[in-house]
Amino acid sequence: MVTPPPTSGHPRAFHEAASQVQTHQLANGLTLLVWPNHNIPSVSLHNWVRAGSRNEGGGRTGLAHFFEHMMFNGTSHRARGEFDRLMEAEGGSNNAFTSQDVTVYQDWFPSSALELVFELESDRIANLAFEPDVVENERKVVWSERRMRVDDSNAALLEEQVQATAFQVHPYRIPTIGWPQDIESWTLDDLQDFYRTYYAPNNCTLIVVGDVEPARVFALAERTFGVIPRGRAPPPVELEEPEQRGERRTSLARPGQNPLLQLAWHAIRASDVRQPALNVLQTILVGGDASRLHRSLVEEQRLAVAIGGGWSEGFDPNVFVLHATLSEGGDTQVLEAAIDAQLARVVAKGITEAELRRAKNLAAADFWRGVATIDGKARMLGEYAVMHGDHRHLFTAPAAYERVTLEDVQRIARTVFEPQRRTVGVLQPTAEAFCEESVLDEADA
Amino acid sequence: MKIPPHQRLRLANGLKLILLPRADVPLIAVDAIVRGGARLDPEALAGLASVTADMLTRGAGARDAFAFADAVEGAGGSLDAGAHAEAVGLHAVFLRRDRALMLELLADALQRPRFDVSELDRVRERRIEFIKATKDSEPQSLIGNYGRALLFGAHPFAKPIGGSERSLAALQPKDLQHYARDHLGADRTTLVFGGDFDVDELGAEVEAAFGGWRAAKLPLPPLTEAPRVRGRRVRLIDAPESTQTYFWIGNIGVARSYPQRAALEITNTAFGGSFGSMLMQALRVRSGLSYSASSGFRRASVPAEFSIGSFTETPSTTQAVTIALETLDALKRENLGKRAIDSARSYILGQYPQGLETAADWATALAELDLYDLPDSTIDEFPDALRGVDAEQSRQVIAGAFPDSDDVDIVLIGDAAKIRTEAASFGTLSERSLAAPEYS
Repeated sequence: MVTPPPTSGHPRAFHEAASQVQTHQLANGLTLLVWPNHNIPSVSLHNWVRAGSRNEGGGRTGLAHFFEHMMFNGTSHRARGEFDRLMEAEGGSNNAFTSQDVTVYQDWFPSSALELVFELESDRIANLAFEPDVVENERKVVWSERRMRVDDSNAALLEEQVQATAFQVHPYRIPTIGWPQDIESWTLDDLQDFYRTYYAPNNCTLIVVGDVEPARVFALAERTFGVIPRGRAPPPVELEEPEQRGERRTSLARPGQNPLLQLAWHAIRASDVRQPALNVLQTILVGGDASRLHRSLVEEQRLAVAIGGGWSEGFDPNVFVLHATLSEGGDTQVLEAAIDAQLARVVAKGITEAELRRAKNLAAADFWRGVATIDGKARMLGEYAVMHGDHRHLFTAPAAYERVTLEDVQRIARTVFEPQRRTVGVLQPTAEAFCEESVLDEADA
Repeated sequence: MKIPPHQRLRLANGLKLILLPRADVPLIAVDAIVRGGARLDPEALAGLASVTADMLTRGAGARDAFAFADAVEGAGGSLDAGAHAEAVGLHAVFLRRDRALMLELLADALQRPRFDVSELDRVRERRIEFIKATKDSEPQSLIGNYGRALLFGAHPFAKPIGGSERSLAALQPKDLQHYARDHLGADRTTLVFGGDFDVDELGAEVEAAFGGWRAAKLPLPPLTEAPRVRGRRVRLIDAPESTQTYFWIGNIGVARSYPQRAALEITNTAFGGSFGSMLMQALRVRSGLSYSASSGFRRASVPAEFSIGSFTETPSTTQAVTIALETLDALKRENLGKRAIDSARSYILGQYPQGLETAADWATALAELDLYDLPDSTIDEFPDALRGVDAEQSRQVIAGAFPDSDDVDIVLIGDAAKIRTEAASFGTLSERSLAAPEYS
């Protein structure tokens, strides 16, 4: 089933939307992007800080993520807990996430709380407090998060090992949440250094979308963020991963029931012109029930119960990963050979016109779903402004996807799926730790 | 915010249709709900409604499973089917220009599912393996299934909606065919469309596509209320080598139609529904024991569970569970002050517009109202209801809807060898293995 390209969308409305985004830079280097939209009386504000685990070094991993926590723990002007108390009392909520490349702080609030949110956000960029007992408490919280997300998860443990094996030099080898021993060892000095280096207005991009007027936002930013001095430019990440010259393998044995297989190939960076082609390839391979690998390996050959994948669009070239879950007792070697055969076909023969059309239509629909909400708009603007280097690329993205050709996809497949540039991770479950019998019956049953 | 202008129609066969046009983006969303759902699953066949829903999109009408997936994804659309306790539902979003295709697929899925034997075989195997894989990588996400199995006993809500390894293995093609015959039909169904369409055109097309659909064979049986539990029971789920204990504390709560819903939402937001809540403050901010702690009331037409969820490092299990119970005690004893109520009220008022932003959001909200037979005023008058909540109303909700900490079921997923004795100190203990193929 092939349907024609979505040329009949709302191109004019969208073109007009592009011109609604207003940008402004403060003298201290803070970049602002404002996209007014008055459908609902709400605002999404995202502050993109260019600090991720990519900016960390040996013995101090997890600092960027730890900061994501510390940024909620009080300033010299506001006691711990005030940030959330004040924001919630004005109807706002907030969260944050840390990646290998950035830390993003997100606030969702009624437009009546705009001024408060600017005061809170600028305060924590300028005046963060470092109380030793608060740091120790938060260290425990981060440990709890790591245990939940990684240590009690076979899939995440394997992913951590694969990433650390695929990269030997570049800090993409570091798990964003930090290695366990490092979580124990950050000092107050480390934290203060990191704060001074990365939490400066010139290292932040502020995205404001929703029920606001740009002129008022810019004035508020001048009054709040504008008084913060510019920081020194953070040190550039100059480490480059050397060319991988042979396949690497890593294996784990863990209590559990299902074997896992992950494959990672060195790929490209977010701003690479081949980014749309690689995303199209990803959709064709693992995007949905009609995708090649799902159909062949999960539905037809039944070698896996799930297969997925993708790549992290970073400042530097990251890996393209495939991850599969096998049935209990499944053979990872047989699955690996079947994946190899499928990828070899793509490399040798390319893809079909129908597959290309399907991937483009999915990209177009994803795009429209994304811009349907103020938060989606904020997320997409931020990704293009920060990770792709220019927010205007957001508005040319649909056309860029439409331009991808069969040859582009085959070429990027050939570049990425190079056997000697891959890392293979296998997790084999050790079933003996599990006993199926109930050891104690209900006392009152 | 009020519900945007919309039309309600009823076809001669009983199918209800709600049309909410809006043209801000070139998309059309639909929510289809068919009353019934997992509560109708036979005891030994938990997961039947959920697997039936899944199979609606895996081959229907002239298309086999592959062709169906091709049709949806080839158009850049999405069409997902699933079940919850009281309905089978489909949710689809397509580009505006694919309206005809969307209707054709929706009509085929609901009226002409194929239930191919080989397809069911694949779906069943995959679901069983997914449960096992979830136990290996995300055991905490299953804790509600263990909690409901213990808490609801013989009530239909005790059954896992997605099924267990054991019940899924027992499902046969005839079970799906019987479910579809008995419980899918025009008289049980509401279709809610939101998005970029002409109301008259779409109304006529739905009439053409669904006007000939039969009714479900059986009437919808009534749902009884489950009794609240008295005393404390503890269910320990052994997960060897787990580094943390994941815990769930629950009892029967209130129905979706609970008249003091605004006060309930405010009170739960203050207790465990926000970062500034009592549970988060106690278990994360003050003690550093956990990354997260929350509470909530599950929505259903009869009272479903109220539950608290959190986790902590294995050695601090007793401390964290004790703090959670003491926080509940503090709520029951001290109630909420004006400041906490005001803050929670502002928080809910400030947040809820973002849940009703798109035409798809409105479609989902109207489908929920329809399922639980709630009037439009449930949404239209909710802000005013929130503004009217005072300390006395919150006190009544705390007394009536929140359990005493002495009367709760507790589920712990963790390393039993290390926490068995501690677990027993909280109440009457029973134990199961995480690897066991069922939740009860």
